[in-house]
Amino acid sequence: MSLKIKALTKSIWVFHLAASPCNNCDIEILDLLTPRWDIERFGIQLIGSVRHADAILVTGSMNRKAHIRLKRVIEQAAKPCFVIALGNCACSMEMFGNSYNQMHCLDDVTEVHAYIAGCPPKPEAMIQGVVALIQAQLAALKK
Amino acid sequence: MGVIQGIGYLAGGFIVAAVVGMFAHWFDRKITARVQWRVGPPLFQPLYDFVKLLAKEVVVPEGASRFLFLSAPLFGLAATTVVSALLLRTVIVPGDTFLGDLIVVIYLLTIPSQAVILGSFASANPLASLGGSREMKLILSYELPFLLVVLVPVIKAGGTIRLGEIVQYQATHGAAIASISGVIAFLIALICMQAKLAKVPFDAPEAETEIMGGAYIEYSGAALGLFKLTQWMMMYVVPLFLMMLFIGAINWRQTWWNLVFAVLIYIGILLFITLVRNTNARLRIDQIMKFFWARLTPFAVLAVILAFLGL
Amino acid sequence: MADEVVEGLKNKFGDAIVEIHEKSPDRTYVTVAPPRLPDVAEYLYKDLGARFSIASGMHMAHGFEILYHFALDAKHRFIDLRVILDPERPSVDSCATRVPATEWIEREMWELLGIEFKGHPDMRHLLLTDDWPDGNYPLRRDWKDWREGGEHGNQE
Repeated sequence: MSLKIKALTKSIWVFHLAASPCNNCDIEILDLLTPRWDIERFGIQLIGSVRHADAILVTGSMNRKAHIRLKRVIEQAAKPCFVIALGNCACSMEMFGNSYNQMHCLDDVTEVHAYIAGCPPKPEAMIQGVVALIQAQLAALKK
Repeated sequence: MGVIQGIGYLAGGFIVAAVVGMFAHWFDRKITARVQWRVGPPLFQPLYDFVKLLAKEVVVPEGASRFLFLSAPLFGLAATTVVSALLLRTVIVPGDTFLGDLIVVIYLLTIPSQAVILGSFASANPLASLGGSREMKLILSYELPFLLVVLVPVIKAGGTIRLGEIVQYQATHGAAIASISGVIAFLIALICMQAKLAKVPFDAPEAETEIMGGAYIEYSGAALGLFKLTQWMMMYVVPLFLMMLFIGAINWRQTWWNLVFAVLIYIGILLFITLVRNTNARLRIDQIMKFFWARLTPFAVLAVILAFLGL
Repeated sequence: MADEVVEGLKNKFGDAIVEIHEKSPDRTYVTVAPPRLPDVAEYLYKDLGARFSIASGMHMAHGFEILYHFALDAKHRFIDLRVILDPERPSVDSCATRVPATEWIEREMWELLGIEFKGHPDMRHLLLTDDWPDGNYPLRRDWKDWREGGEHGNQE
């Protein structure tokens, strides 16, 4: 069991799920792959199908239409899979919270393992969030 | 050759192919990262990827045919292991291979692609079927020039189709690549290898819909891990096969310098694959067919004719 | 040159053109009478080869105003067709059968502003959920959200 989690922390395949965002967070995610931050040296890779995903980065505010489909897509990931809420909209629907079309933040839809706040969060903040998630998982193992 | 010996060769072939294949995959990713001015993954990254995949759950889609879906990766893995074992035996005992093993190797090397097709159609997903149908077209495209250029070392070695005899012939008479027909044939074989390994620019079947995963879209866990392992093992087996046919530098019984040269040439071929992969855009499937049939095949035919004429 | 298009419109549609306002060399607002709107749109789209860009609907003090933005790319111009609708019961003929690209934007204008498009082939919700309550048009000036006493808002 611990080998599972250990291997998982060394090779995280990330799926980017955009639930109607403004795309600022998405651009910052793509920045992580550029030479300046180069997240591949930690074994983190961006993959195309949600079934291959170990971590799902959810950006955007979940409006009434999107949250149903979002739940369906997240359920299709192979367990164990971490759900990471990226950006203020996914963490707490901060800016669009009082909109007529807005009802949920990611917490209401599925269990979230990490929150990375920011509008948009800097790539350094994202890396810090992922590292914190890895450390929390490893610490939970030691208990 | 006894059963124990056979099992030994299969196990040895599998282990060598897996280890060298993982190294080849890491090499590809590392050189890609370097070319893009990045750092790239650590050396054991493919191993971490594989172990992690073994630990994830295998999800079988509801409409999929369960048996085919789960067994398709095994077909590819089995075929690659057998080829690796055959090549290992040819390296160790070149004189004792069986008649027609060249044809067996060529035939077995198509099975991993067919396993991908089988798996993609068993997935009950329209995007996967699209990837599978493109894989079929890709096989049709590159097999033609590939088979033609494999004829060249056969002709040069005097018409034998024993792989061991081809290797031994080259040890005494010089490598098949040391001639005009050999050079043309080797270059065409390298390009066909790029397609066989499904690397850019020929990864249309597995990557056109890679935005969603292509043929592998519904796979997860150990099944996906076995597919990936097969891909990595092919990166060891196919260059080795080409080296045996054209360069014959595997004959380590002559002098152990040959072994060093063999390793260097293998790394050179890996470098070729990676650099071509990094500097090219992906081709559409109709462009791929036109490229292989209209542009490469005439040169392959030319190479065969030149080989007949002794050049 | 620049006035070719405007002259052509005036000659063809005569009194259907209520007003022409040239805001800048690149942008001309052409106010048309609502019954003739689809004909003018079709003329711009088919005869002049203009590209339909987007349509904007607004709830103004004097009524509902829709702007259909057509781009004449070769001439570097935008021709905006403007219709002003009745503030009580906004209703206009749909351009969707003539200019297919207007289909979805008219759906959006209906569901958010409550403008009725007569003859639209496929009127259903675009951005809001299918069980959105009828008669609830969020982008109207008099729409109240739940904090101000309106019925439908964040708490549902």
